[in-house]
Amino acid sequence: MVTNVEVKPKHQYRGLTQWGRIFRNLGMILPVAIFALLIFTAIFANFLAPFPYDETSLTERRLPPAWVEGGSTKHLLGTDTLGRDILSRAIYGARISLSVSLLAIAITASVGTVLGIISGYMGGRVDAFIMRITDIAMAFPGLLLAILIAVSLGPGFFTVIIALSILGWSGYARIIRGEALRVRNSDFVAQAQVIGVSPWRIMLRHIFPNILNILIIGITLSVGTMILAESAMSYLGIGIPPPMPSWGSMVSDGRNDLDRAWWISTFPGIAIGLVVLSGNFLGDWIRDKMDPRLRQM
Amino acid sequence: MREIILQVEDLRTSFFTRRGEVKAVDGVSFYVREGETFGIVGESGCGKTVTGLSLLRLLPEPAGRIVGGKIILEGTNLMELSKKAMRAYRGRMISMILQDPMTSLNPVYPIGDQIAESVRLHQNLADEHMVEQEVISALRLLRIPSPEMILRQYPFQLSGGMRQRVVGAIAMSCHPRVLIADEPTTALDATIQAQYMALFKDVQQKTNVAIIFITHDFGVIANMCHRVGVMYAGKIIETAPTREIFNAPRHPYTSALINSVPRLDRKDDRLYSIEGQPPSLMNLPPGCRFAPRCTVVQEICREQEPPEVDIGNGHSVSCWKVK
Repeated sequence: MVTNVEVKPKHQYRGLTQWGRIFRNLGMILPVAIFALLIFTAIFANFLAPFPYDETSLTERRLPPAWVEGGSTKHLLGTDTLGRDILSRAIYGARISLSVSLLAIAITASVGTVLGIISGYMGGRVDAFIMRITDIAMAFPGLLLAILIAVSLGPGFFTVIIALSILGWSGYARIIRGEALRVRNSDFVAQAQVIGVSPWRIMLRHIFPNILNILIIGITLSVGTMILAESAMSYLGIGIPPPMPSWGSMVSDGRNDLDRAWWISTFPGIAIGLVVLSGNFLGDWIRDKMDPRLRQM
Repeated sequence: MREIILQVEDLRTSFFTRRGEVKAVDGVSFYVREGETFGIVGESGCGKTVTGLSLLRLLPEPAGRIVGGKIILEGTNLMELSKKAMRAYRGRMISMILQDPMTSLNPVYPIGDQIAESVRLHQNLADEHMVEQEVISALRLLRIPSPEMILRQYPFQLSGGMRQRVVGAIAMSCHPRVLIADEPTTALDATIQAQYMALFKDVQQKTNVAIIFITHDFGVIANMCHRVGVMYAGKIIETAPTREIFNAPRHPYTSALINSVPRLDRKDDRLYSIEGQPPSLMNLPPGCRFAPRCTVVQEICREQEPPEVDIGNGHSVSCWKVK
């Protein structure tokens, strides 16, 4: 006997409630909110910080955060070895850390992507030439070059960016070249050639969008690398000159006091972690949205 | 008689590898008339696809290179064009459909954009509305249902047969005079294949385009082509009207090839197959390239290459047996 079986859809995607929709896009809302907050903080640091970043107080050295015994609400996140307010320094630190890393990433990612796509698409001698330069850039000791640059240009904001960018593009170039090579051998590139599309247009219109997800993953992952590289430079005294704080240098400052004043390193460390994590979540979300196969679901 | 649109004379294409020169196409000559379909048939690796790519001058550089010959398209020798001028010819005058519809479309753009790319490139249209009209008419030409809707869809939303039609629409969007179809039906199943071939004939009737149909399938040849060139080891060894190829093949290779097609009207215990392997294109035999596998081989076949003999009726053969 045949019975009429009514098939009910398991999930009704179209009829999501407002809360459901918000929950599904949490991967975007949360990191964007964090980034927005941090950028806002960086821009308006002067108004938000309760103290100047360089105001020392020898009587209030290594003060713990407000909620720990011995802490006071005057210094919410405590003070460092010189009695400077950690909250204020972290707020100012957002400025340096974010601008240095974002600028350096913008430079390295663009240069690396352009070189990688040209290398992968053109092949032959062009490829060999670009890849040998990439090899050299990768083999070069980065910190040594950074010191050299800092010595010859003098420490400062742009010195740090130049030092981070001058070798940092090589990783992008390598990864993007591999991807470009994969995409260039696909039939739709051949189809584009068949209808007479020029090489530059093929690179821009057909190769670039198809490697974008890899690029975005690379960018989000390098946010952390860049902030850490900047802090390494600060630690060596070739970064942003003190007393201007960056999260990296704040972490380094607290290294010797980890056993008795954990908060000096911890709070800027949390800030770095938050940025890296937000970057990764945001990257995942963008990648999913850009893949048309996932978009319609 | 209709005008000859494309004339290929003594085309030679080689791949220069570390181990030596591979003569993938070694002196191929043929022509196609307006509104005619010329089939190139042969086994895998005989140089069919390389011939097709050579006509567009799209070989994988730097290894592949056209080393000689003329490709005359409506009086212009494509070999003499600059790279830029050649690009302007591609898609507008001579176009190609690639084998695999699953991967011939860029996954990140709606298909309307991909057809529009060719339209924008080759036709100076004033505004986007006219571009869209052209795109829709190209989709209509390939009988794609509700083109206004389809053009906003992404390739993954379409079936294989539909994608193959879209690829056809891209190729035909700028009304080329010559269309090279490189095994466009191989990736499709039998019923869709039949539909697609009927569609091709229809497109040809409407546009009068000359089609070069590359395939290894004699069934497709019988269905589609007016004339056929049989290719073996980089050379066309026999050219004839389709009916003659089937009824009166003169080259031993052609007859052997036709014999090895399974047939419903005969009871064969075993499928016929040609003994041996095609020669290495790097190291061709001195005489006829089919001599080592030929059943009626003579002394002279092993020593000298047979000349192409015109036996009338548009039928020419390169074989010492044919006089």
